[in-house]
Amino acid sequence: MIDPKKSLCFEDVDVGVEIPRLKKGPMTTAHLMRWSATMENWHKIHYDAPFAINHDKLPGVLVNGSFKQQYLVQLLKDWAGLSGWIWKLSYQFRAMNLVGETLTVWGNVTGKRAAPDFGLVDLDIGIVNDLNKESTPGKATVALPFRAGKPLPYPFVAPKLSP
Amino acid sequence: MAILPEAAKAYIGVQAEDEIACDPVERGQVRRHAQAIGDEDPMYWQACAGNARYGGPVAQPFFPIHMFRRTYGTPDPVEENAADLDYDGALKVRGGLPEIEPLSHMSVMNGGSEVEFFRLARHGETVKLRARYVDIVEKQTSKGPIILVISETDYLTGDDELLLRQRHTRIRRPVK
Repeated sequence: MIDPKKSLCFEDVDVGVEIPRLKKGPMTTAHLMRWSATMENWHKIHYDAPFAINHDKLPGVLVNGSFKQQYLVQLLKDWAGLSGWIWKLSYQFRAMNLVGETLTVWGNVTGKRAAPDFGLVDLDIGIVNDLNKESTPGKATVALPFRAGKPLPYPFVAPKLSP
Repeated sequence: MAILPEAAKAYIGVQAEDEIACDPVERGQVRRHAQAIGDEDPMYWQACAGNARYGGPVAQPFFPIHMFRRTYGTPDPVEENAADLDYDGALKVRGGLPEIEPLSHMSVMNGGSEVEFFRLARHGETVKLRARYVDIVEKQTSKGPIILVISETDYLTGDDELLLRQRHTRIRRPVK
């Protein structure tokens, strides 16, 4: 969750830094069933092992892609804190994650850009399992205020950036 | 071997009517969502520092995309397919867009998304979506051919304030 005592500014962030990781799991069928029920999506590959293995020829019950994208947002939200805003997020589901795996959600700062009224921080993000295999590589852009600047606009207004 | 039927390409550019979520942002549903993902942040359930700039408790950033559930009086696919051993249970209609019938015999997997966030939905707000298919293409992979179905969806409040915009890829492949 967001630390109410922490407020991150653009100037606080250095390129190359890894942001605090988020651990999830080991993932169980109860986790997946709870998420499927929350979404009201009854796709059997996320809770019905015989169907996943025998019918869809999968190696086991799969962690939902929609579940993993929530974890990416949680990682970035908690890091951006009270004053930041997750503007852009992209990711691909390149590999499966199965029940029993522990997931580590990570992010590395790859760049910083100054927009007219606030700063933008670019990150590589992803989710690895116990074997450090990447399943969900992606990129994100988080807006942060300048230390001596105004709070971010809310609702967020995409900045006009030069090409 | 090509697996993309010509008839599927006719769905490119198809835009759905605006669809309004059957329920507004419910406090209880926000709680279930928070507990399911393991993020019981106070910003989702009480006035606190984390949501002061949003005007009170809000839903999770991705919450709006999960608000489009089956409404009362509509066909129940679980019941209708109870005797079909091949029924996979996956949602067949997404974002108000029609199922792409020429691909309906194929399995579906989530292939990833590009998302922009602009605002968080507050408890009690109505949410609607506006979606269209932007591309349907075949791609060769080391495990054989797949079809990528790419759609773009705007999620808005009832007053047309943009919450988030999602460009979503679904992977369709023949069931072996």
